[in-house]
Formats: sequence, structure tokens, C-alpha cells
Amino acid sequence: MSEHAINLDSVTVRKTRTVLLESASLHVTRGELVGVIGPNGAGKTTLLNVIAGFEKFEGVLSIFGRPETHRRSRESRLRVGYVPQSFPVDPTFPILAVEAVMTGAIGRTGLFRSPGRRQREEAMALMETMRLAHLAARPLGQLSGGERQKVSLARAIIQRPDILLMDEPTANLDIAVQKEVLDLIDEIHRKDGLTALFVTHDFTMLPTAMRRAVLLDRGSVLFDGDIETALSGETLTRLFRYPLETFRRNGRRFISYD
Amino acid sequence: MIDPLVDVLTYPPIQRAALACVLCGASCSLLSVFVVLMKMPLIGVSMSHAAFAGAVLGMLLDINPFLSGFVMCLVAAGALGPLSDRTDLAPENMLGILFSFLMGIAFLGMGILTRTKAGVLNLMWGSLLTLSGFDVTILAVVTGVLVLFVAVFFKEIRAVLFNRRLARASGVPERMIYYALLFLTGAVVSSNLATVGGLLIFALLVQPGATALQLTYNMKHFFLISAASGIGACASGLVISYIFDLPSGASVVLMATVIFAAAYLFSPKRRRARLTERNRII
Repeated sequence: MSEHAINLDSVTVRKTRTVLLESASLHVTRGELVGVIGPNGAGKTTLLNVIAGFEKFEGVLSIFGRPETHRRSRESRLRVGYVPQSFPVDPTFPILAVEAVMTGAIGRTGLFRSPGRRQREEAMALMETMRLAHLAARPLGQLSGGERQKVSLARAIIQRPDILLMDEPTANLDIAVQKEVLDLIDEIHRKDGLTALFVTHDFTMLPTAMRRAVLLDRGSVLFDGDIETALSGETLTRLFRYPLETFRRNGRRFISYD
Repeated sequence: MIDPLVDVLTYPPIQRAALACVLCGASCSLLSVFVVLMKMPLIGVSMSHAAFAGAVLGMLLDINPFLSGFVMCLVAAGALGPLSDRTDLAPENMLGILFSFLMGIAFLGMGILTRTKAGVLNLMWGSLLTLSGFDVTILAVVTGVLVLFVAVFFKEIRAVLFNRRLARASGVPERMIYYALLFLTGAVVSSNLATVGGLLIFALLVQPGATALQLTYNMKHFFLISAASGIGACASGLVISYIFDLPSGASVVLMATVIFAAAYLFSPKRRRARLTERNRII
């Protein structure tokens, strides 16, 4: 079995005349938690969409050694879990939080099979371990943004994926709620050893288990290496084309700029 | 008042009308769950105008207008799926463009048509009392397929209605479910042109779902409430039209509006949302 969970070689994505991702390469080892960081429009979400199978691309992508395109079999899709950026849900939409979690297991159940009571129990048990049980019976649209993101994580986890892709999961959340979501991600990663990609433009709030970062700029990989070098003032100044300095205090990373 | 109603039900055209009414209510209201939750109210109008354009073309080419209308509806449904999946066009804009394009075709055909246009215009109004056995059979088959589809693929439909992208990521064949729903919309609209007609069907594709949206957070109950309110509107509309000698299609639509208004006024969900909002302010 391949050691590499994700192998991306010279992948290019074009939309009409715009190049969203240009000859990007990325190799992620099984069990790694990698940050994909860059300013708006850098191609972070496009990169994630390629790996998730949402986007057509040129180049080579293999997942656990198996070549993939944007058209995927059910088995291939089941191996990759996806957590989107927080999205609004109509408060009257007829779905409870526990049912939203259960939708993550539908592909695994397969067509013509009833999810039955067992799947609801499985979703409840998962929500219990993620300390979300109190939200289970509430309509999803009436949860706060942070609560919905935690439910979204649970929805991806119940799929039992080998790779977890997270697209700005902490965007638009209060700082305290961001921390809660990050702690949950750390916990999942520690417990399940999941290979994970965490896309963000905010490099001050990252999961603590993240050791490696890929910096994207205008569709190209600018830097790929350890997180400390990636988030040094020098690298970030190159990335944002603006003089930035970073420093750490009590284990937390801070940024200073003029 | 009951006896004359029971008596009248012994006449075959009335029996057919009553049966078609229930089938129309059931099929439109089940689809309205999809129309309302996917926020695609224009789909009904687009489909009925596809049927209208198809019927005009049928008359021009000397084909049965119902058949050509049915085929055109399915073609429109088939085109709508891939077109609405294009990321550079929002689905609601796509529907608006398709709708006006089909209107253009229909009016162009009407301009060229030298014969009487009554056959085509009948598709816009519908007529419950002049239905043939064939019309009712087609409607029964389409309704049966729709009920079966909802029952068999309920969990997949729920995932797709919640979020198509997430459904796809979880290994649900969301495109198959979505396209099937579009085809079924085409089939339901065209098979109901003879009953309530292309103009009024729009109301039945929106109001039962909008009624259910006021009353429940449970998706299974949502389908049941929607079906009950659709069938209720059709049946009560037919009875009222018979008693007061009113046009049946208009009575059905007005009853659907009354049912929606009642659900809106007494909505426990709205009351709950108001309470939550007040608690937040306090």
C-alpha cells in the first residue's frame, strides 16, 4: 500500500482564460495534518476541490496510489471526507442536527438500504464523543455558526474517511468558537490519525498538531515545509507582499505589521 | 348537500375528475417539497411553458399536442440539469432564460399557426371534467413512479435537498437523484396540463411545500403534510367548484392559498423562532 495518501503532480486548473492553479505539486504522507495557507484568490479552495473530486484538472492526482479524476466511484468518494466553510442554513429547513450528521453516512450505507435505527444510534454516539449530544434534536438552521461547523465535522467523520479535507472551517467564527473548533480538529486527528488538509487564510489560528504548511500564491506553491519556517516573517512577507513580523508568546503565534 | 355530491360521483366523468384531482394533488405536492427546499419556484413555470411550446410545435407539425408537450417537457428537464450544473450560471437565472426562451418559441409558433389555437390554450387552463381515461392513466403512472422514487430514495433525496455538494462528497449519487427529480418535474407538469393546466400548476408546485415548511422540522412529516395539503386543496377545490358552480382550477388554487395562509398564521415554527429571537434580545 502506498505511503503517500495524496500525490498531486503538476496539477493545473483553468476556468475560461483564468488559471486558478498552475502546475501545483503536493505529496502528503499518511497521517499528516497539513495546512494550506495563502491570501484570498491564491487557489487554496481550488486545490482542495481537485483532491475532493469537485473540479476538472490537468495533471496527475493519486489517492492512496490510485489515480483519480473529478469523476469518482462511490468507494473513492467515501475515502475522502469534506468539511466546507460555514454556510447559512434556512432556519425553517426540515433537518435536525443528528439527521445532518447522518447524511454523511448515506453513501456508506448504499442505495436501496435503510439506514435504520443503528445509524441514528451511531450518529448520537459520535455526537456524544464530540460533546455535541445536546445539539442533536435541534433544527440545524437554528444552530450558531460554530455549532453548525462542529456538526459539519461530525458529518464528515461519520463517513469514516481516510482523508479529511477542511475548507476554511473556522472562517467567520468568533475567536473563542474558532478555538473550540480547532481543539476538536486536534482531538480527531490525534485519536483517528486521519490524514488531513486544513485550508485557511488566517495563519494565527491553526490546529496545534499541524507541523507542515504549504503556502499558495496566485495558483502556485510558494513554499512547502515545516510550519515554523512557513510562518516566519520573511516567508509571510514574500507571500503577502507586505512587511510582516511574527513572534510567539506562551506558545501562541502573533503577527505584527505597520 | 352530501347526497347530491354522492350521486354525482356515480358519473364516470366526475369519477375521473375526482381521481385525477387526488392524483394531481399528490404528484404536485410531493414535487413541491423539492421545488420549495431547493428554492426553484420558477421550475414549474419553465416546465409548463416547455409543454406549451411543445404543444404549439405539435400543432404546427400535425402531432398530438399533448404528446409533443410531454416530450418537450422531458427535453427541457434533460437540458436543465447539465445547464444548471454550470458554475458560471446560477440555476435561477438559467431557469429564467429557459422560461423566456420557451415563451418566445411558443409565441412564434402561435404567430405562424393559422388554425384555431383552442387546443393549445386548453393546456394553459386545463379542464377536470373533460379528461379521458388515458389522461388519468398517464397521471396515475407518473404519480406512482414519483411516490416509489421518494419512498425508495428518501435518504438520498434528503441529503441532496440539504446540500448537493456535501451529498456528492459523501458518495451519494446526487447528480442521478437531482436529474431524476428534474425529469419527474417535467413528467408531473406535462401529465397535469389536462387537469389544472400550465398556468395554475405553478401554485400547486409551491404552496403545499410552503405550507409544510410552516409546520414541521421532520422531513418525513414534511412530505406527508405537503401531500395532505395538496390533495386537500384539490379535493376541497373540486367540491367547492361543483357546489358554487365555479371554475375548478381557480377553486383548487384558491383553496391551496387558504391552506397556506392558515399554516402561516398558526405556524408553531414561526412562534418558536419569535420566542428564540425575543429571548436573545432579553
